[in-house]
Amino acid sequence: MSFSVGEQLFESVKRPDGPTPEDKLRPVHTYGIGAYGVFKASTVAKNFCNALHFRGPQIPVTVRFSNGLGCMAQHDSWSDPRGMATRFYLSEKGENEIATDLIAMTLPEYFTPTVDTFLAFAEMAKPTPYRRESAWRKIWDLLNLKIPQPDPNPGEIISPYEGAMAFAGLNDFSKYSIYQVSMIGAPVSYARAAYHAVHTFIVTGQDGTRRWVRFAWTPTVGVLPRDQNEKPQDHYLAHELRDRLSKGAVEFCLMMVIGEVGDDFADSSRPWGSQRQRVNMGTLTLQTVADDQITDCERLSFNPMRLIDGIEASDDPLLLARLQTYEASRTARDGASCPFSRS
Amino acid sequence: MSKTLDLNELQGNILRGYRADLTNVRYLFLEVVNLGEARRFLGAAIEGVTPGIPKITTAAHWADQKPQMCFNIGVTYEGLKALGTPASSLATFPVEFVEGMTRRALKLGDFGPSAANHWPAPFDRPDRLHLIATIYAVNQDILDDIQDQVSQAFSVLGVRDARARTDANVLGPQYAGDGSPNNRVFFGYADSISQPKFNHLTDAQPEKTSDSAPLGTVLLGHPTRMEGVMFRVPSPKALGLNGSFNAFRVLAQDTHGFELYLDQAAEELEQMLGERMDQLLPVDGEILIGFEKGQRREALREIVAAQMCGRWRNGTPVANSPSHPIFNIPNKDQAEAFNAFSYAAPSACPVGAHIRRTNPRDGEVVQRGSNLTRQMVRRGMPYGPDFDPKNPDNEERGLLGNFIGANLGAQFEAVMCDWLNLGLLHPDITGLNDPLIGANTPETSAFDLLLRDGTSYRLRGFPRFVKTRGGAYTFLPSLPAIEYLSQLKSR
Amino acid sequence: MANGAGWFDRFVNSLPERGWFKSLSNIVVVPFWAAVDPRPKLPGGPRPSVQPSESLQRMMNLIMPLKNKSPVGRAMAAMVISQNIDEIFTGLDNVGTIHFARFIIIDDNLCMLSVYDGDFSNYIRDFIVAIGNVFDGILSQVEGGDDVIPTRDNVDKFIDWVHDRDLFQLPDFATDIFALQDAAMGRPANSAAHKLDELPRAMILQLKANPNFSLGGGYRGYAGLSVAQIRQKFGLGW
Repeated sequence: MSFSVGEQLFESVKRPDGPTPEDKLRPVHTYGIGAYGVFKASTVAKNFCNALHFRGPQIPVTVRFSNGLGCMAQHDSWSDPRGMATRFYLSEKGENEIATDLIAMTLPEYFTPTVDTFLAFAEMAKPTPYRRESAWRKIWDLLNLKIPQPDPNPGEIISPYEGAMAFAGLNDFSKYSIYQVSMIGAPVSYARAAYHAVHTFIVTGQDGTRRWVRFAWTPTVGVLPRDQNEKPQDHYLAHELRDRLSKGAVEFCLMMVIGEVGDDFADSSRPWGSQRQRVNMGTLTLQTVADDQITDCERLSFNPMRLIDGIEASDDPLLLARLQTYEASRTARDGASCPFSRS
Repeated sequence: MSKTLDLNELQGNILRGYRADLTNVRYLFLEVVNLGEARRFLGAAIEGVTPGIPKITTAAHWADQKPQMCFNIGVTYEGLKALGTPASSLATFPVEFVEGMTRRALKLGDFGPSAANHWPAPFDRPDRLHLIATIYAVNQDILDDIQDQVSQAFSVLGVRDARARTDANVLGPQYAGDGSPNNRVFFGYADSISQPKFNHLTDAQPEKTSDSAPLGTVLLGHPTRMEGVMFRVPSPKALGLNGSFNAFRVLAQDTHGFELYLDQAAEELEQMLGERMDQLLPVDGEILIGFEKGQRREALREIVAAQMCGRWRNGTPVANSPSHPIFNIPNKDQAEAFNAFSYAAPSACPVGAHIRRTNPRDGEVVQRGSNLTRQMVRRGMPYGPDFDPKNPDNEERGLLGNFIGANLGAQFEAVMCDWLNLGLLHPDITGLNDPLIGANTPETSAFDLLLRDGTSYRLRGFPRFVKTRGGAYTFLPSLPAIEYLSQLKSR
Repeated sequence: MANGAGWFDRFVNSLPERGWFKSLSNIVVVPFWAAVDPRPKLPGGPRPSVQPSESLQRMMNLIMPLKNKSPVGRAMAAMVISQNIDEIFTGLDNVGTIHFARFIIIDDNLCMLSVYDGDFSNYIRDFIVAIGNVFDGILSQVEGGDDVIPTRDNVDKFIDWVHDRDLFQLPDFATDIFALQDAAMGRPANSAAHKLDELPRAMILQLKANPNFSLGGGYRGYAGLSVAQIRQKFGLGW
């Protein structure tokens, strides 16, 4: 049986301790929480992007925050990139709704630039049995001015760490992303992390100008990572968000960074430097936790390729492949159908 | 502070060009493999009396008898090292020359397809490229003979031929009118119109001195245009004085791509300008440009080409003739007067035009006072097969360019990295690269066409039209310097 | 044994915090590696880039030890600058590419920190033409300055001199340090020779070779704009 690229990618990210097909959960970003809110474009947004959600009026959104980990057991405080998937509704919700998705995570770049390299990475970084490094070995590492292997979390018996480090050693393009992810830790709240949409999109402004850009959400209250010296906590993020939203709204700014000559727009493994021009495209205000976490979170199927006029995908092969990957994932867990579904 | 300059001591290609008379050119890229032979060759070349060794052409006046052949050399840093120049002397050469063009490529905008790691031989081994010898001759046979002679003393790593284009007549009436088909480059423009003049040295009539450039523009050891500033003369003086530096570049021009872009731009303008078209190409304007009535798209193409360059294809400056080229300028004096144009505001020439970026004349420039200090001498010749727009092909063709000045950092590099690319000289173009030869990608390029009413229309999406296919920084030694090199002793 | 951390494991985890371990690193471990696997001193200033946002608002961090390391010496340095305010402003206005320039004296080092647009050597060269006199005054107060006075007659040499004293800028992305070191040591690029867990060694040894450095190229509140663009947009004339 031949797999489509999307199916291959979908299969490649599964962990042996992840959900089974019967669980009907996502293979990664398995655990999450949904929330409702609104998005209001900034006054300059339409100059850069004429898509409906950037034209001005406030529109409703649904957001799903998640942990990246594809484990069946939930471990909020394990070092793990977090996800923030946003659906902007440009019409009434329903079967023929007009909507667009923006999927972001706390890691600003991908591990690899292409599908093949991603599959190779997933293969090499498959979780392997992970034990605490012996103390003597750590002393040896310190004397060699090397990073000792981080201690496993309580209950962590397999980890992709060794495979990922080996891959990073062999592939220059993945060094920075793997370095970053090894230190990413956990936020104190989903509302206190910055999320990056990673891929380059092409936005068309009111005057027809096309720009190659990347999006990022930045929290108004600021980024705050958790102190990892504290005792691990497996379940706190969802409670924390409910609690926070019950006391007040949560805000994010949508920053859009503009691409320049010399960038390879098809390569999402290369982060963009800090000196770029950043445009404030609008503000997201989350107000309440979603009532029906099943419909509005677990079965909601986001897709990074769900775009509307005014935003197009770049030639990034991983972005284009994610169209199918997310479809494969959705089908496997009976997620709500989306414009891309065939049936 | 002017010393009397003995023209017999300078190499001839610095203060004057040869292309008007000698239209066949060969570049020899040489490696020193036998130090004794190399030194003997250099010693004999300055004397010019040894049979089988060409004479270095000097800057002395030609009087009545024009030479059949001109021969000159440039030496890279690796070449100076290979010839045995002492380390103490090498340390006095400027850092950009020491590093070499290959290592400076990113500063020059040579990335992507132009990146130095794509350069073909002999430019892929800059450590072995020691000398670049140029032969200008009246025919090909002489080129072959001289190459033969040179190859006895050096290893010839590579050869590039260039020659004046002969296809001006197939391009159409817009290209006519300046009477000198020998300075046409691919992209169809007349080249080499504006050069710093060193009248008081090269003209028989000494009275034309009013707009001369100071010798320090090209020669080390002389006052420059920067008040009170002199560049360091490499030591010993015998080696450094009256020397010059050259940035040699193999620039492949995507001639077909350029013409295709002009088609695309003309079509876009027809669709998008609407009522504003009158401000760019008024009714019957195409006739003035040299086309038949109704050939408006062809005329629009020429307008785009003219504004991107700053000159119409036949050399007419856009600054003093924005609506159409001038055909049939009566004589050389008139042509010179016409070429002495100004960019005083409001100027009809777009700020981002190629010739304005590289030579802003009296235009407003952010770095005040530097309008003239970055001027260089350009010597170039096209290479590659003729291009027929009716039967376009994608063969490699372009320009072998030489950009000569007393200091590469202050002149060639300064223009390339801040003005030609980046557009730092004017806020309207900062962040944008030269439309003709800049480091452009279709996703990020932009050029503002100037309309008659002072408004502009932004063209986008053009690719890089010129790719760098090799190059090197060379030192152009004076004749006493060549003698010095020939007399070095190995330790 | 499997997952629980015994007392020895916890002790080892705490080693980097312990004073005696830090001393051991500084006195034995780091010098050992610096001798066995040294890294070259990397040049200062921003690295060339084709991207406009990296070619504008660039940082120069110039550190020049004073000749006279005393209150008198510091006063003399301060006077040289304050007596030439006209020249400095004239220079800034006419060179046209400098956003900010600050002079700071810290521990008998005169530091000139500036934010400028475009190529470093063009900026210094244009400055020499405009205010070479002030530079000569400053150079007379700092170590090594006499080698390049008068700056007008030593343009290239002065540019190199300043470049040598401009601080190395750590790459924005830490793992890029491997490629920078390879290039400086003449090794081919993209060699799969660097394991990620060696990043601390590469960083520590580099910062031994470059003890003074800048953390990246700085952070900007309004990136990607030149001096002239800002002045033009706000109607201040450029």
